Amino acid sequence: MILVPITYRGGIYRHNEIIDLIEDLGGYIVQKHLIAQEVVLQCFVPKDDVELIRTMGKPLTGDVIDSPLVGTEIAVVIPSLEIHHLPHPACDIAEYVRRLGAKSNMIGMARGVGKRIAGINDEERDVINEHDIAVYVLGNFETCIEYKMQIIRRGIEVPIVLCGAPNKEALQKIINPPVEGYVGNVGRFMHRTKESDELAKLDEIVAEITRVLEKKREEIAKDPLSVSPARLMDVIREQVPAIHEVTSPTPLTVQMSGLRVKLPYDTYASVLRKIEIEDGITIGDVADILPSRMRDYIIIRIHLFSETNMVI
Amino acid sequence: MPAIEYFEVECTEPLGGEYYKQITNDVLLDHNLLRVMHKLHVFIDPKIPLFIAVGVVKKVTTLVRVRDIANVNPLEGKIILSISDETYLAPMLKIFWERFGKDHVEQPDRFTVILYGVSVDPKEIEETVIANPSEALYKDLIYALRCIAPEGFRVRKETYGNEKFSFVASEDTLTENMDARIKEKFALMGETP
Repeated sequence: MILVPITYRGGIYRHNEIIDLIEDLGGYIVQKHLIAQEVVLQCFVPKDDVELIRTMGKPLTGDVIDSPLVGTEIAVVIPSLEIHHLPHPACDIAEYVRRLGAKSNMIGMARGVGKRIAGINDEERDVINEHDIAVYVLGNFETCIEYKMQIIRRGIEVPIVLCGAPNKEALQKIINPPVEGYVGNVGRFMHRTKESDELAKLDEIVAEITRVLEKKREEIAKDPLSVSPARLMDVIREQVPAIHEVTSPTPLTVQMSGLRVKLPYDTYASVLRKIEIEDGITIGDVADILPSRMRDYIIIRIHLFSETNMVI
Repeated sequence: MPAIEYFEVECTEPLGGEYYKQITNDVLLDHNLLRVMHKLHVFIDPKIPLFIAVGVVKKVTTLVRVRDIANVNPLEGKIILSISDETYLAPMLKIFWERFGKDHVEQPDRFTVILYGVSVDPKEIEETVIANPSEALYKDLIYALRCIAPEGFRVRKETYGNEKFSFVASEDTLTENMDARIKEKFALMGETP
């Protein structure tokens, strides 16, 4: 069964029927937002049943849209958390990808500023590596980007999408070894992105992120995960009641090949390891449960089929 | 009269310069400084790296007096001030406390200040200077220029006087003779530092 990421948007009236339908079809709801009279469900559903959900949602004024970013965690990396980058353009980008279903985190480096003095520390490197993709939002000068990118990408293993003011070709020319994605003409600016050409740029960033993630998905499909992250999320949600007490917007953050659990590692790692998924197979059998560098959270890395020889 | 007479951004990278012109404009607009700016020249060389901003601001002559922010109504034994703009209320109260003592100054609500038993001409109260906005201008200007300058340029040298200012920033120690460069940039605007 191939699960595809979609967003369902519809009226709040009888929306429970849609939730039941998705669950009955074997889909998973990653996030649920209730906004005034509207409900937004970000979910994974079987590919063949998307039309059924669309038909069922129609009388409830529901709409189904493809959201390739659902179930991904994106790091928006900026040289610092100063006024130079916040709220524009970093927050604009982070917010835009969030609207399309991704979970975005902003990572402002402690010493990422300047040219010669730019640097990255081990904590930042590890936090970025916990994500599915890193979007680097850099500045306006080719010279600086060329110089500092070498430093601030050191040790990063996840795909990188680089945004900067020089055009795409110029960026491709100066970055060696190449990164996975480039978006030109998005440098530092200090006004809100509301003009149509600026919004088009944000769309371009999303398209580039989607392209890079698609590639990563294809890689994963060649050697599939032992268990789907969305399923693992469901299992934890059912069997660990403490997760319902967490006040974070996403207590369980689904990633492409893992899951972030926002519970303290020391107390819950052993509990999670022993949770049975199916037929006596526990989470510990199919995944590594590791301490996250983000607060005291837990990060679950799911093993590949080639490592465990099973898919559940 | 146009808001700003001369505004140029000179940069070794043309595209970067264009973006910086936009940034400069946005920041000055956000900080309400565009209306006080007369001339401005910005120079950026990311290779050195160096950021220079030189400019001339308009003369801010207006002093804020009590009559600008309040109505003064003399009554028997007291003077009632009805405040219309709270911005300068705190410095005004401070001046009154120093001059008349706290016993003679009362503020029953946000928009009323009453002076009891003071033997001063109400006209004189009206004319009392309570603030000089040009003093804050320098601070605001330097703050805005720090926002404009590329991030990480922490070694700074700034001067201000006679409505002219200069701001030099880099991430390395400023070894060159910056005064000559500043003079050169002022000359581009037809001014002398």
